[in-house]
Amino acid sequence: MEKPYILHMLTTAKNLSPFDVNMAMDAGWVSAVPYINVELGEIQGLVQDAIFSRSKANLKRTAIFIGGRDTKLAMDMLRLAQQSMVPPFEVSVFADPSGAFTTAAGMMAAVERELADKFKTTLAGKTMLALGGTGPVGQAAAVIAAKAGAQVRIVGRQLEKAQLIADMCNNEFGEGNITISAGADADKAEYIKTADIVVATGAAGIELLSAELVASAPQLKVAADVNAVPPAGIAGVDAFHNGAAIAGSTSGAVGIGALAIGNIKYQAQNQLLKQMITTDKPVYLHFEHAFEVARAYIKSIS
Amino acid sequence: MEKRSILHMLDPMPHNSPFDINMAMDAGFDVLMPYSNVKLESVHGLVQDAIFSRGPSGVKRTGIFIGGRNLGLAMDMLESAKKAMVPPFEVSVFADPSGAFTTAAALVACVEKQLQEKHGIGLKDCHGVVFGGTGSVGIATGVIASLAGADITLTDHLSVDTALAVANEYNNRFGCKLKGTYASSEADKARLVAHADILFCTAKAGVQVINADILDDAKQLKVAGDVNAVPPLGIEGIKRNDMGAPLIHAVHSKGAVGIGALAVGNVKYQLQSILLKLMLETDKPLYLDFRDAFNKAREL
Repeated sequence: MEKPYILHMLTTAKNLSPFDVNMAMDAGWVSAVPYINVELGEIQGLVQDAIFSRSKANLKRTAIFIGGRDTKLAMDMLRLAQQSMVPPFEVSVFADPSGAFTTAAGMMAAVERELADKFKTTLAGKTMLALGGTGPVGQAAAVIAAKAGAQVRIVGRQLEKAQLIADMCNNEFGEGNITISAGADADKAEYIKTADIVVATGAAGIELLSAELVASAPQLKVAADVNAVPPAGIAGVDAFHNGAAIAGSTSGAVGIGALAIGNIKYQAQNQLLKQMITTDKPVYLHFEHAFEVARAYIKSIS
Repeated sequence: MEKRSILHMLDPMPHNSPFDINMAMDAGFDVLMPYSNVKLESVHGLVQDAIFSRGPSGVKRTGIFIGGRNLGLAMDMLESAKKAMVPPFEVSVFADPSGAFTTAAALVACVEKQLQEKHGIGLKDCHGVVFGGTGSVGIATGVIASLAGADITLTDHLSVDTALAVANEYNNRFGCKLKGTYASSEADKARLVAHADILFCTAKAGVQVINADILDDAKQLKVAGDVNAVPPLGIEGIKRNDMGAPLIHAVHSKGAVGIGALAVGNVKYQLQSILLKLMLETDKPLYLDFRDAFNKAREL
C-alpha cells in the first residue's frame, strides 16, 4: 500500500510560518509536521531519523522543508541535510527561509519579463539597486540578478552592514563567482543616475525611493516593490502594478507591485513543493530552482 | 462519519523523532500532533485535554505516544497519563522512548528464539552481559531479559558507579535483578565474556566493542546480538543481516551464533508498527510499554 505524503518542516524560528504550512498542504502533502527552534547541529540527527523508517519507495513520499528567517543558516542546513543522506535512504529537501527565495525569484522573473517585453533586453549587464536590500528577499534577489549577469548594489542604511551582507552573498551564495557591491541609503540619489533596475525589499510601509528620485533616474527601466502596505516602497508603484508605466518616470520605466510578485512567488513555491512529490530522484531546492520555475511559469502564461 | 484518527505525540525533548512520525503515519493515523519539551507535570493536563473533546466514539480514534530519550521518565509519563484517564473518556497510550522499548524487545526476543532453536534452553538458564548497558536500548534490554529470568549484568564503558546506579534504579522500578559493572579494557571485556551465555551489544553506533580476540575467551557463549548497523559493527564476525549464523571467532564456544542489527531492526520495525496499529484497532484502551513490546515480539 502507498503511504501518506509526509513533509517534515524544520524552522530555526519559534514557529513555522502558517503561510508555508498552507502551501505545503495545498501542494499535496498530507501531513506537515513542525520542528521548531531547530539548530544546525541537530540537522544530521533529524534527517537520519527521518530516512531510516520508510522503505525506498515510501521515502519518495517523504521530504524536508527548511524555513526560518536566516538565509545563510537555511542554506547551511540544506547542504548539511544533503550530506546526511545515506543512499538509497535519501529524501528531497527545499529551503525557502521567510519565503524569501521564492519571493525574490518571483520578483526577478517579473523584472526579467518586463525587460524583455518593454525594452527588448535581459538582466545581463544591467545595473540594479536593491534598496532595503540587506534582508532575506533583498539578498536572494541580488544573488539571482548577479548570477544572471547584472551589476548589483545592495543598499542599506548602514554601509558597513550592507557590505557584510554583500560579501556574504558573494561568498556563500555565489561561491565567489559574483561581485555584488554595497552602498549607503544616503547615497542613493547618486546611484539612481545609473540604475536600470530598482527593487525595493525593505520593511513594509517605508518609502525607499521618492517621486523626486524616480523622476531623476535617466535610464530606469523596471522598478519592483515587494511592499503591499502603503506608503509604497517606490513612489508611483502600487501593489496592483504589473508592468504599467510609472507616473513621473522620465525614462519610461514600468512598475511591478507586490500582488503581481506574490502571484508568481505562490506559483514557484507551489511547484517546488510539488516537485518533491513527483521527482524520482531526490532534489535539493533553493533560490536558483525557485528562479527556474518562476521563469518557466511566466513563459507558460505568456 | 467516522472521525479521523489522531495521535498526540508527547516528547520531553526539543523535537519529536521523525522516525516515530513516519512510523505513526504509516501505521494509519490520519493526523499527528507533535508536542515537544513536554514536562512530566504537564502530562496530566494534556491527557485530560485530549480525552474530553471527542465523545466516547472519538476517544477510540485518539491515541497518545510518549517518546524522548529517558526510559524512567517515559514510564513515569505513561503512568501519569493512565492516572489522568476518566473512563469512559480514556485513550490508548504507547511509550517507546528512543524506540528503545521496541528495539530491546526485538533484540531479546531474537536472542531467546536462537537459544531455543540452537541450544534448547531458555533465558532463565543464562548469564547475559549487556555492553553499552547504560544507554536507553541497553537498559531496556537488560530489564526485559532480567524479567524473563536471565542473570544480567549491565556494563558501562567508563564508570562502575554509573552502571551500579542504573542497575539499582531500574531494579527498584521494575523488580528486576540487574547487576552493574564497567568494562573499559579488553581484559575487562574478556573476563566478562568468558562466563557469559549471551552477549548483547547496544553500544554507540560505529564502535566495535567485542573483537575476535575477546570472543576467543568465551567458554560458554551461545548467542550474541548486536544493534549497531553502522560499520565497524559492534561484535566482530556478525554481519548485519545475520539471524543465527555461526559466530566464527568464538572458537571455544560450541554452536555459538550471532544476530545482526538489520535482523533485529526488521523485527523492531514490525513491532512498533503492530503496537501503533493496536491503538487504532483496540476496543478497550491499552497502555503499552516494553513488556507489551516483548510479548508481541515473542509472537513474531
